[in-house]
Amino acid sequence: MSDAPKKNLGDKLQSISKPVLFLILILATSIPLWIPGITVPNEPEKPAMDLFAKVMALPEGSTVLVESDWTNSTRGESGGQFKALFRILMRRHIKACIYTAADPQAPKVARDALRMLNDEQRAKHLPTYDEWTDWLSIGFFPSAEATEVAIASDIRKAFAGRKATPPGGTQQDIFNSPVLEKIRSLKDVPAFFLLTASNTSNVVIERLYGKVPLAMMVTGVMGPETQVYYDSGQLIGLSKGLKGVYDLEILMENGMTMKDGTRIEGFKGMVNRDQGSLYYPTLHVALTLLILAVVVGNVGMMLNRRKAK
Amino acid sequence: MEYLAQAPTFWNGANGSSELWLKIAVAFVVGLLIMFGLMSVPAQFRRAVVAAATFLAGLTYILYWLWPEPIGRQPGTLPSGSIEGVGFFLDDSQQVIGNFYNILSGLLLGLGVYSILRIHTRKLVRQQQDWAFSGVLLLGMLLMIIFGFWDFHDHAGPGAALLDNPANWHWQNYTADFLFDGLLQTMDAGMFSVIAFYILSAAYRAFRIRSIEATILLATAVIVMLSLMGAISYLSTKGINAMSPTLANGQPDTGAFIQNFSLANISQWLQDTLQTSSIRGIDFGVGIGALAMAMRLWLSLERGGVSQ
Repeated sequence: MSDAPKKNLGDKLQSISKPVLFLILILATSIPLWIPGITVPNEPEKPAMDLFAKVMALPEGSTVLVESDWTNSTRGESGGQFKALFRILMRRHIKACIYTAADPQAPKVARDALRMLNDEQRAKHLPTYDEWTDWLSIGFFPSAEATEVAIASDIRKAFAGRKATPPGGTQQDIFNSPVLEKIRSLKDVPAFFLLTASNTSNVVIERLYGKVPLAMMVTGVMGPETQVYYDSGQLIGLSKGLKGVYDLEILMENGMTMKDGTRIEGFKGMVNRDQGSLYYPTLHVALTLLILAVVVGNVGMMLNRRKAK
Repeated sequence: MEYLAQAPTFWNGANGSSELWLKIAVAFVVGLLIMFGLMSVPAQFRRAVVAAATFLAGLTYILYWLWPEPIGRQPGTLPSGSIEGVGFFLDDSQQVIGNFYNILSGLLLGLGVYSILRIHTRKLVRQQQDWAFSGVLLLGMLLMIIFGFWDFHDHAGPGAALLDNPANWHWQNYTADFLFDGLLQTMDAGMFSVIAFYILSAAYRAFRIRSIEATILLATAVIVMLSLMGAISYLSTKGINAMSPTLANGQPDTGAFIQNFSLANISQWLQDTLQTSSIRGIDFGVGIGALAMAMRLWLSLERGGVSQ
């Protein structure tokens, strides 16, 4: 016979074991993944709407700079943002020059994401978004500070010496590519997009603000500190975390109406809903579970306090 | 006014030429000699050299920040005076200094690789505790280097465009893809996702409303979390719209006072008013601290490091 004191309800509510909590988390967050196509009602946030409106207003045929500083550790959010951005750029025939200043793995991760988009295009017999003619990946720059300063000073010299391979040809200077051939300075670039899960957002603001219109796509953790730059008017648009991805996907599907009544049409009938739509219900479940866990713990504490009185 | 390596001068060479490779090799040897030379001289002399180099490196950026920027400069434009001349010089120097920084940061990556190799090779050779893990690490590193470069080489060749379609891949491309995407990236994502378990466990055990401050914090956190749930936010807006007066066109009056109490608006207010100002305050403090630290480093007032 055990001598251990019998636990009351308050104690029980405060002492759910870790394995039980973890099992509930696994089960609860897995369920939505088995039911694809759930449409969660949603109101897109203003920063994401601004981002969508600005991307949709970019001139066709222009070239944007994309600093892709994410890897698969944040693929749930950053991967969705990257794919949403490039789906729009591809469909609007906007060229992109991609580089990274945060992680040596990032260029390969970006290439793989673009390959997935092209696989999707091929499967639907649609034109692909091709390296050299539509986009360039010019690799990793180890020092973010020095690179951003150099880009602000003279983009052609900052990227000098980098090479890429045209279809069927041998390596050539990236400035021979249709992506960069018309770029003389940052003034020729209509927008700069930063996709990041790290503090390169601060470096970009410090070094490039005022030189080129900046937009950022950051993880949920980075959201609050990046919101500061959006509120101050330093960013033309901002996508924060999974909610930001879902906002963009819904805007791509349904389009949006601006305050002045101007209508921006989306891409109805095309693949718009991807990672954001797949993972957003899971985020709901995870957040609900988190709130429930806090409530249960506090109810247990209050029951014990009442009993002690 | 071109600076150092930008013009076809003694300081550079054509890309890929043997002249450039020779200059790189000479520069590397000279750099090593300077480094070993500095290590062998008395600390007092070394300190002066390091302090002067640090000061000059920092001075370039400070001058670039403060000096009047050349306006409307076109290739071939000559400076109209000494002030603009210095501006041109500083402008040109940014590319060279940027390259210096990128090369130095690249060397740090190389230093990290060297350090890993040294530690784990020794552990493996001496069969110290957990030497098998070191063996797996070194094998993984070797395989990734071999297949990574092989794949990179294929992507840089004439058939690069074909490799965009996986149907055209060779076995080395599949192996590189398996190592990078199949193993490394998946393990990376797996490790990061473990955080969810810690967050849930920590929130359950530690988040107790034992004080007024904790209650405010909890209420704020719950509002922000609920606002991230589109379904809840949407229902809240619907409810507030139903209570809001309607305009002539039948739409709810979005300017009505009650609209302030929708979840989306409360969350927005929290973010714009409380969160933004708090983060700005923190950033401001961090900025002042960084400035003070930067001044100490720039002027070599900080003790320790290579100058000692």
